[in-house]
Amino acid sequence: MVEELLFFMEVLVGGLLAGTMYSLVALGFVLIFKASATFNFSQGAMVFFSVLAFCGFMQDFNIPFVLAFILAALLMVVVGLCTERLVLRPLMNASEDTVLMATIGLGYVLEGLAQAAWGVEVRRLDLGIGDFPVPWIADNLKLFISALDIFAGLVAAFMIIGLFLLFKYTKIGLGLRAVADDAGAASSIGIPLKHIMLLVWSAAGVVALVAGCMWGARAGVQFALVDLALKALPVLIIGGFSSIPGAIVGGLIIGATEKVLEVYIGPFFGGAIEGWAPYVLAIFFLLYRPEGLFGEKIIRRV
Amino acid sequence: MSNNSANILDIKNIEVRYDNVILALHDVSLKVTKGKVVALLGANGAGKSTTLKAVSTMLASERGKVTNGSIEYDGNSIDKQTPSQMVGLGMVQVLEGRRCFGHLTVEENIISGAYSRKLSKSDINQELEKIYTYFIRLKERRKSQAAFTSGGEQQMIAVARAMMAKPKMLLLDEPTMGLAPQLVAEIFNIVKELNQKEGVSILLAEQNTNIALKNSDYGYIIETGKVMLEGTAQSLLNDDKVKELYLGISKKGRKNFRDVLKEESLKKRSN
Repeated sequence: MVEELLFFMEVLVGGLLAGTMYSLVALGFVLIFKASATFNFSQGAMVFFSVLAFCGFMQDFNIPFVLAFILAALLMVVVGLCTERLVLRPLMNASEDTVLMATIGLGYVLEGLAQAAWGVEVRRLDLGIGDFPVPWIADNLKLFISALDIFAGLVAAFMIIGLFLLFKYTKIGLGLRAVADDAGAASSIGIPLKHIMLLVWSAAGVVALVAGCMWGARAGVQFALVDLALKALPVLIIGGFSSIPGAIVGGLIIGATEKVLEVYIGPFFGGAIEGWAPYVLAIFFLLYRPEGLFGEKIIRRV
Repeated sequence: MSNNSANILDIKNIEVRYDNVILALHDVSLKVTKGKVVALLGANGAGKSTTLKAVSTMLASERGKVTNGSIEYDGNSIDKQTPSQMVGLGMVQVLEGRRCFGHLTVEENIISGAYSRKLSKSDINQELEKIYTYFIRLKERRKSQAAFTSGGEQQMIAVARAMMAKPKMLLLDEPTMGLAPQLVAEIFNIVKELNQKEGVSILLAEQNTNIALKNSDYGYIIETGKVMLEGTAQSLLNDDKVKELYLGISKKGRKNFRDVLKEESLKKRSN
């Protein structure tokens, strides 16, 4: 009995921590959705692009770890700059659907550029933190929990707190929330939309890099990261597209349910339900709570 | 009229098109003297909002363009400005329909108006307190989410937010739309006070002809994108045509637009 409970705990905790990795990817989507009400289809490509560049800097040019990370982060700022200048500004007055389509195109461009610059083979990324159970926890609590998962959880927590403070207490955060509510009114009182866009895309790029490092360390830096990022979709549907806490909670829910369902219900379906179970959950949310758990309700006075 | 230097805004014969095709303004010329309140009157679709957006350069975001004529603000052409640059120059538009940031609190809404200015936290608080002296009602509701405040309060938020940018000139687009008469009076009192105490010049687009003229120095009446009539507010209030068409008063009692047209065509025929 105790053994079974321990096993359940292990599955649950492992799931929750894996969920924070989804949360990290989802954060990037939320940032852009908040500012431009667009689902950024190129977010997955940004994850792939940024982490591949990071590996490239380290492995092809022998640049030390920290410096390579900073360079990759700067590169993502440049990508944000180019995106604002070449894609978003010309589409400033276009409909949201047009911008959505543009992000799909942008995704292909980034994927192509990344592979042209750094090659197509799978790269190994070593963060210095192994993807194996932490001995101390295994000995004392009898739970097998990966060190990488714990590290990802900490990084996610750190980023959430940072972004929350940025949004809530800084001038730029206020501008960002104003633009998210009504871009026209924001520009009428002198909030420069292009600065806000630049900031948001750069921030989303850096978040993509962090998420990419976590996933790359686990699964190898490869093209599959692009599709993996789409796992953020059910996360966002559950958490709410415009909410940072929602991205976190959504990620935790997805991570936990998919692991628990996989272990306990998976065998009845012949296994491998991890891949689609989150989407089933997302459909339920779409039916019964379309704005997600933390999404901003459309407020309408009557 | 007064000489150039006395005018903060000088619009000369502008023509505005949307999507390069739809002609919204044919020929609008108007002037706003420094420190005065000027009313821009007309029915729905007459071109009031378009005129204001041409001045604040917000037309571009609606695919509109000034295709002829010129607009000078404070002695300089506004040709190549963006909306945020105009705010920097002291020209702020309060858009039609209030457009508050619904998920922000009342106070956050107002503070957002100071975005273009480089102010310290204590400067902002000082400005905020000053603004609250005009909008006492908002101070009580400072922590509420803007979307849950009443229509009148939202209009006040929109004006207060614009005032935080320290404008030399305000463009108000139908500030009394959909408000109860008592609130209409309250809004106009505040506008008048801001004009007198802060020295803000105001261009005011309104359908509510009577109360707008009573609170203005000068007025323009536009119809289908053309200025039809202009004059001091007092002269317009006493003008027979204005009385008949916009105030609904005539010597022979109330009248509608069709009656006036009929009368005029009869007159023409008899001539």
